[in-house]
Amino acid sequence: MIVFCKRPLCSWLIGSAICLLLTFAPGCDQSPPPRFHANLVQMDNPDNNVSPKHQQQIADILLAMYGTPDDPFVLPETGLDLQKIKVAAGPVKGYTQGLFRLHCVHCHGISGDGMGPTALFLKPYPRDYREGWFKFKSTPSKMPPTHDDLVRTLQEGISGTAMPSFKLLSQSEIEALVEYVEYLSMRGQTELELINQYKLADAFDPDKEDFPTTREFLVNTVLLGPNGPATLWKETASQVTAVPQPPSDFRTAASVEAGRQVFYNKGGCVKCHGPTALGDGQMVWDMWNESIHKLDQKVADSSEPAKLADLTAALRVDALPPRESEPRNLRQGIYRGGRQPYELFYRLYNGIFPSQMPGIGSTPGMTTDDIWHLVDFILDLPYQPGSQYHSDEHMKAPPRELL
Amino acid sequence: MGKFWSILFLCVTFFGVGTFMFGAATGVWLPENVGSETAYSIDHLFKFILVLTGIVFIGTEVTLFYFLWRYDGKTNQQPAKFSHGSHTLEICWTIVPAATLLFIAIYQLNTWAAAKMRTPMANGYDMAPTVEVTGRQFEWRLRYPGDDGILGTKDDLFDVNDLHVPVGEEVLVSLKSMDVLHGFYLPNLRVKQDAVPGMKIPVWFRPMKEGEYDIPCSQLCGWGHYKMTGRLVVESRAAYEKYLADLKVRQNSVVPPWAAQQAAESIPAQGTPEQTASAESGATSAGTSSNNTTSSLANTNR
Repeated sequence: MIVFCKRPLCSWLIGSAICLLLTFAPGCDQSPPPRFHANLVQMDNPDNNVSPKHQQQIADILLAMYGTPDDPFVLPETGLDLQKIKVAAGPVKGYTQGLFRLHCVHCHGISGDGMGPTALFLKPYPRDYREGWFKFKSTPSKMPPTHDDLVRTLQEGISGTAMPSFKLLSQSEIEALVEYVEYLSMRGQTELELINQYKLADAFDPDKEDFPTTREFLVNTVLLGPNGPATLWKETASQVTAVPQPPSDFRTAASVEAGRQVFYNKGGCVKCHGPTALGDGQMVWDMWNESIHKLDQKVADSSEPAKLADLTAALRVDALPPRESEPRNLRQGIYRGGRQPYELFYRLYNGIFPSQMPGIGSTPGMTTDDIWHLVDFILDLPYQPGSQYHSDEHMKAPPRELL
Repeated sequence: MGKFWSILFLCVTFFGVGTFMFGAATGVWLPENVGSETAYSIDHLFKFILVLTGIVFIGTEVTLFYFLWRYDGKTNQQPAKFSHGSHTLEICWTIVPAATLLFIAIYQLNTWAAAKMRTPMANGYDMAPTVEVTGRQFEWRLRYPGDDGILGTKDDLFDVNDLHVPVGEEVLVSLKSMDVLHGFYLPNLRVKQDAVPGMKIPVWFRPMKEGEYDIPCSQLCGWGHYKMTGRLVVESRAAYEKYLADLKVRQNSVVPPWAAQQAAESIPAQGTPEQTASAESGATSAGTSSNNTTSSLANTNR
């Protein structure tokens, strides 16, 4: 025992004082408040090449239009509910405040860029909201999902991925989180639209001028333009794909057989999903990684590969290692977008744009009956003998004598 | 200084016993037990062992206190006595604990067997599983056998985190894991079983009281382990059947839920409130009847 003076009590007091001092000396320093990250892959992309001055202006504009993670703000033209966003935003307080950081941020990142701390270890990667592309929805190709689509995703989770089900959260908590996802998505899309305006050089001359900060430009040109985020999100409700009545022989063996014919012939599914539907056909890149893949191709084709390679290396720092889109193994009985027949209908009719799964809704010669037959085939596949599902064999023990 | 340490050690006894007395007085105790005989006998064993170890605890702590107090270096000036040990004493303090442990081991055999070894039977055969629970990071995925009562067939029903069981009946869970170790823990039924990847483990219980209870995960499974909780709903047989029927309708749904709503909302509000009401109810019944037609088609054409 350390002895500071002869009397034990003295030693105790001095020892305790030193311990307390060491405990509190580092201080109660709190980390600085989190900030949104810029989309550097698009800003520094040689196709766009936004100048540093304008990059800073974009950041300032976004700060004014959307606020910070702790203190969000939305313009009324976005159609978002700021009260709900405030419940989801900000630091965590118990289980009622800061819901996004409580449940979502470690995968989806503070900016909703799908690059949270756990993202690197997940396959598939968490969703990057910034393009406004979501996979499992009821609207066509590049349209954003509806509010109900996002609520469904939160409630059911996405089976086969790291996205859990939040069914046990209350309805108001789910609404707040969905609103925040839409907020992050619109913010990301606004950033991209500003970069687009920079490239177009229509509303202003980027070589000589700064970004206009008038309401006219920001609201009417950027937010409410033909491809503006507010326009797109407002239109989703009216663009929901109508689900027609299934044919009368739906859910019969004949329907499954008809679906098999569609799968192997006019559906064109074998190319990616493979001849045995194991997902071992061709792979393509997914659209979130399109920029990096295109740059890689440019590097391969260019006369100065080394110089461009440096640039793509710099871009890759702000992105997760790009992966290809893997076609689904249809024999596992895992339906990421949901196993209800109408959900499968949506996937087939509209396709999954960011994964480059084509929709067969508009294929010439394809009827909606064909698509329903295909749905039947897909629902039946995991139960076919070749799909290796074993029923509960060990639970059906032979009868034994009663003691 | 020496006596101070002996008092400090005595405080451990007081605080240890005091905590349990405080718990008993304020009702801070085990979770509500809604299980059957096995669950109650687990509680009984817990209390028995608590009392037994409590007695031993108090005995050893008081003895320790006594020796610290009596032979404190400052006040006790007698020289130390050296002994060659006492054979009798050593035999005593080996045999008595060994006998106690042996007693406990035999005393609990029946409860362990009832909870873990005697799989439930129905009509002379092994009971078929009521539900297959698959632990996954970080949720409980459920699979009910559907109308044919056999797991693994086309009519199986799927859900997440929301386990419904009928009250008063034996429930057999077939426990699996999709990725890593999880712990299927029903605190209110005194059931705890690790879900081991690659194994199908039977877990059985009989809930005796309706209500909603937790299914926390009791085996560290990753970053989300702390919030991996499902919900166990114990309800009457009729409500349970209704839940499964609703699940079946939802799972076979060819009409998205918002489309049914839209059909109801798209009738413009015209004329008298009576007319509007009848128009709306007409639209709704049209919506649901088309739903019924589809699902009845689905049933008959299986």
